[in-house]
Amino acid sequence: MQDFLAYTVLGLCLGSVYAIAATGLVVTYSTSGVFNVAHGAVATMSALVYWQLRFGWHMATPIALVLTIVVFAPLLGMFLEILVMRGLRGTSEVTRLVTPVAVLLAINGAATWIWFRKSNRALVPQKFFGERHINVLGQAVYFHQIIGVGLSVLIAGALFVVLYRTRLGVTMRATVDDRSLLMLNGGRPDRASLASWAIGAALAGLAGVLLSPQLGALQVFALTLLVFDAYPAAVAGRLRSVPLTYVGAMVLGLSKLYFDWVSDAGQRWLVLRNLRNAIPAVLLFVALLLLPQDRLRGAVVSRTRERFKVPTLRQAVLWGVVLVACVAMLQSLMSGSAVISLANGISLSLLALSLVLLTGYAGEINLAVFTFAGIAVIAAWQFDVGPTGLATKQSLSVMAILLAVCVCALVGGLIALPALRLRGLYLGLATFAFGIIVYQLVILQIQPLHFNLFGWKFTVNLFSTGSLTVPRPNWFGIDFGGQRAFLMLMTVMFAIIGVGLIALRRSAYGRMIVAMKDSPAACATLGLNITRLKLGVFMLSSAIAGLGGLMWAAQRRTLPNNADFDGFASLTLFMIAVVGGIGYVSGALIAGIFLSLLSVVMPNIFAKLGSDYPSLHWLFVTVLGNFTHYVGPAMIGIGLGKNPSGIAQQVMDGFRPLRKAPVATAAWVVSLAGLWLLTWRGVLSNWNFALICVVSVFLVPRLIMSVFEARFADEERLVAGEDLDLIGLERPFRASDRQVLDTALGLPVTGVPHAPS
Amino acid sequence: MTFGGAAALSDVGVTAEAGAITGLIGPNGAGKTTLFNCITGLLQPTSGEILLDGRDISSLPPYKRSRAGVARTFQRLELFTSLTVRDNIRVAGEIRNRWSKTRVDPRAETDHVVQLLGLSALADRDVSEIPTGMARRVEMGRALMTRPKILLLDEPASGQDEQETEEFGELLLHLCAEGTAILLVEHDVSLVMKVCSFIQVLDFGRIIASGAPGDIQSNQAVLEAYLGEDHRA
Repeated sequence: MQDFLAYTVLGLCLGSVYAIAATGLVVTYSTSGVFNVAHGAVATMSALVYWQLRFGWHMATPIALVLTIVVFAPLLGMFLEILVMRGLRGTSEVTRLVTPVAVLLAINGAATWIWFRKSNRALVPQKFFGERHINVLGQAVYFHQIIGVGLSVLIAGALFVVLYRTRLGVTMRATVDDRSLLMLNGGRPDRASLASWAIGAALAGLAGVLLSPQLGALQVFALTLLVFDAYPAAVAGRLRSVPLTYVGAMVLGLSKLYFDWVSDAGQRWLVLRNLRNAIPAVLLFVALLLLPQDRLRGAVVSRTRERFKVPTLRQAVLWGVVLVACVAMLQSLMSGSAVISLANGISLSLLALSLVLLTGYAGEINLAVFTFAGIAVIAAWQFDVGPTGLATKQSLSVMAILLAVCVCALVGGLIALPALRLRGLYLGLATFAFGIIVYQLVILQIQPLHFNLFGWKFTVNLFSTGSLTVPRPNWFGIDFGGQRAFLMLMTVMFAIIGVGLIALRRSAYGRMIVAMKDSPAACATLGLNITRLKLGVFMLSSAIAGLGGLMWAAQRRTLPNNADFDGFASLTLFMIAVVGGIGYVSGALIAGIFLSLLSVVMPNIFAKLGSDYPSLHWLFVTVLGNFTHYVGPAMIGIGLGKNPSGIAQQVMDGFRPLRKAPVATAAWVVSLAGLWLLTWRGVLSNWNFALICVVSVFLVPRLIMSVFEARFADEERLVAGEDLDLIGLERPFRASDRQVLDTALGLPVTGVPHAPS
Repeated sequence: MTFGGAAALSDVGVTAEAGAITGLIGPNGAGKTTLFNCITGLLQPTSGEILLDGRDISSLPPYKRSRAGVARTFQRLELFTSLTVRDNIRVAGEIRNRWSKTRVDPRAETDHVVQLLGLSALADRDVSEIPTGMARRVEMGRALMTRPKILLLDEPASGQDEQETEEFGELLLHLCAEGTAILLVEHDVSLVMKVCSFIQVLDFGRIIASGAPGDIQSNQAVLEAYLGEDHRA
């Protein structure tokens, strides 16, 4: 009994810190409508800044604390609100989720760049008042923990007063309910949003400082994950109620400590030794499932800024063939390492295809794509039931792939079934929790699992050796073991699945999926069983993720269990897929290539430039190389608010003039083919070919546009003349439209508008 | 139907006969849309029952009520904004084909409905780009594709000009002549008086008057609900 009470006290201490972290999330969400996934990153950055001030520069604790919590963190919060979050108005829920993910990755990348780029430095934070403690029922309760409890109580009271007893609090809550109405009543929503982000960031910072001593030495992603642990508390409060959030935080803290108590700190049941780390994810999943069911949602925003055009099936097939041909031509010129980078990118693109269906078409969110990759690998590996699994095989068989795909579809269905009533952010969090649970309990499982099924005894080794070997296919007498052959196989697979997805989108099933995304309520009143449709989409998407995951693993050949499954890789891929254009198959292609390009190829290019030009080494390597490596992928996500339809849409818009000048376009393509031939024959160097290609891709559409501008303007004017009402809706308003409008209205034609005198 | 203790609908009994248009009018906040949400299953009433052809459908989820023959439009437009006008209507037919024993050709039926509703000129436009009045017709076309027994129309004429409203009234009469029961919520009183054979008036979640259009126009309780008690002065 004494132990029970002692662990209860410790659990409440831990819960208090979680409460601080979780209320920060709640304050931000309930006053701005944005679930700040970057909360953990703000906490991490604040903890590092505090460490720098307190232990790096030896400032006094109160000064370091004030500078971190009262100055740095709120400024960071306000900076994010002004530069990033304000651009998210009128965007879909997916965009509003992805942008904070990009912020998270950018902040964490910057933190790694600043503090950890040179070596594995050990930044060891210390508790307030060091090891001083009091004994409670035989357990040491540190002053640090007592301070955490005290601050937690103070913050709860202060938040209650601010949110419910002050004008600022009322304005903050009104901002998320109806921004326009608030402005009409004299409120200043921008100022309220700023205040809420400042408060949220300050609470994140405080939580980071309080939690960091738990880690021993500071680690960027580990500390971010530690703050993620507070999510279930925030969800228990339905992201709105501060008191319920506190209750959730206490349950969370107590669960962790009670598990320590009954499991003897994880030593009693080795199979469940990682359960402690998975407890927050389990509680998050349970909290999401137990939340009162929302009634069917109508359209949240009457028209979001995201627009995705659907190509015809003929166009899709044509582009599929073009893709395969281009990759075949390019790989013949590329060096071995460049082919590996391209193949890595295509394998990631295959994974991202699952998100095109699930998120782009159906509007649902899966933040655990890599988890399905891991499940696929385990399933395929176990298919060869032998002592060393696929490692003994020379080839990945079709049967193993089919089995992996089916298992992924099944698991996807099983996960989706309880989570089906969830949507958007809540579904995203549920899948994220699922990913963490699988990571902690399955992927990190090094103990053999012994089963006895109706007398049939068998043992399953998951990642008992810490990694799984996945061979490449050898089908129909074709050996895809070589890098170039495997690249082509993955490209063909991408093209086939891509065309299949577009065919599906153009089918009746595809229209239903899109309709479900736009208005579930309307769908239900038309007789559509949304649960069944969502289940089907989730299973199909999981199957594609499984196939893509298996190819991604085969590309790497050996899959270790210590990377890519902890949630961040899935978040990154999701973010890049949205940036690429989540509603487009080409968006998935762009996502994979970008991820590979920005994290590996660009830093390598800058490293080479740095060595070629030593006087500019600082610029190329220290600034540009590190920037692209650490924060490059995240930075493109931060700008998503400006172009929520993604890069694919921008590319299509940029190349639109080519359609109106087919002869010029054909001449350009033939020229490029000729240049490729010259490069292939060794007349032209690869670098020059690449340079000409890149420059021409940017210049040719503009050149064609300028040459044929007069003709395009005439054509567009004719269209405008037919539908005057839609000028400015279907395309931007141009000065030349004024003549058309003047003529139609019977006014004297004024031509281009005059500058006001 | 209550929301956190506040009664949004209380003792409300509404009947819509097949082949007739029943008007449901009342001031803003009277509970008209809430009643539609209860009938279609988007809200679960705290008590009471909903009968369709004598069959209790109160416990059915929304999609099963639709399959039983209940279709609706929305006061706040619920269009599929990623689709064109034609596809908005067509998808309703395709959904119907998934559960109905009598299969239809969604494309042909869509063409028919598009023409019937006067949407031919806008058929291939993105639905988010058309005027509100036309968008309401798209919602109605979508509902018609389910071949409903009862059609619940929530302010279908708002956003339409005088001539369009006139044509719309004719269309409603045409539909009810084919045997469909129509329950019409509308603020355009002249349209309601013209097309409805029976009108019920809601105020503060209660039925305050029922009767033929002529009776409703002179009903004291209705006048007070719309104009206030000072209207006599």
